[in-house]
Amino acid sequence: MKTSLSVLVVEDDRWLAEQYSRVLTKVGYEVKVTSHVLAAVQAIDDFRPDAIILDVLLTGSTAFTLLHELQSYGDTGAIPIILCTNLASELSLEDLRPYGVRRIIDKTKMVPDDLTIALRSVL
Amino acid sequence: MSAKAGEHERFLDGPLSDGLSSLVAAAHELKSPLALIRQLSLMLEDNELGLVEQKRMLRQISLTSEQALRLTSDLTRSVRLSDALFTLEPINPQQLCEDIVSELAPYFVAHDRDVRLAPRKHPLLLVANRDLLRRIIMNFSDNALHYTEDNTTVEIHIGLLNGGKTVRLGVRDYGPALSVNALDSLRGRLVDSTTTIYARPQSSGLGLYIASQFADAMNGKIGVKRHRDGSTFYVDLQASQQLSLL
Repeated sequence: MKTSLSVLVVEDDRWLAEQYSRVLTKVGYEVKVTSHVLAAVQAIDDFRPDAIILDVLLTGSTAFTLLHELQSYGDTGAIPIILCTNLASELSLEDLRPYGVRRIIDKTKMVPDDLTIALRSVL
Repeated sequence: MSAKAGEHERFLDGPLSDGLSSLVAAAHELKSPLALIRQLSLMLEDNELGLVEQKRMLRQISLTSEQALRLTSDLTRSVRLSDALFTLEPINPQQLCEDIVSELAPYFVAHDRDVRLAPRKHPLLLVANRDLLRRIIMNFSDNALHYTEDNTTVEIHIGLLNGGKTVRLGVRDYGPALSVNALDSLRGRLVDSTTTIYARPQSSGLGLYIASQFADAMNGKIGVKRHRDGSTFYVDLQASQQLSLL
């Protein structure tokens, strides 16, 4: 049984994922990291995260494949998603809300605390 | 085009991109390392980090900076390709690749990965420019580092093709395989001179574009083979006949 809120980080830059994990673990989240969509689908089944932090351009399939997959099922469709991407300026939160996206963070402008602020706002 | 069972192979021999899209690709490609460096630097301002963790982050910053600088150096060199004459000479690829493996090993180890040169019994010589060939293999290796799975070993292979007339240097990774559609798209983008080359979804393809230019300058060509568990990016170059004359 989980005692703290859990977050799945889907990010293929290993060191950036490590940085996210460092920030989130420090404030008490349980964190699991995967680097591509296939592994993320498996991790969501196993780990049942309370929220997902998702990069857009990933190795293999992009984030949009995962977004579609999650919306195919009632339970996974309800997991709040925070996109964390270099492409933030080219994405519209309104367009992506139907896919469970609740926040978009611009990697090029973010500060470490932005992750926890975004998570607190959606959990 | 030849293909082994379970593998698909495509030659990447199309014309090159225009300057503007290259500039956009360069900007895109540099965003990731700069964003990472910025995040780590901001985190280091937090005095609560332990000494070991601080050292690890500083190491990551320096290695990421080196990777970004390699890209800018390659870009500069590629822009000047048409203005310069590059000496082609007989080169021992084994020695060149051993040097590259030595140079990149710390970077791979820092990512919990490894890089090795596949052993080869008989020495080979090929005709190339040492600097350009080195940059191609470094580029492929950087690419492989990013896409290969944790705790795997990226392998550099050297082999002969076409009855000994061609030498192939390939860099094999063990990550999610390129889809056949992605391979076709990759080939199409190389043929379409108005677009950059997207090797994989999250890549601007700048590195591949530059490698293609460098190979072209040495009368060679680059290509990619898809495996069930990864990919091999390779460059084919003319074999030197010097050994057979000895």
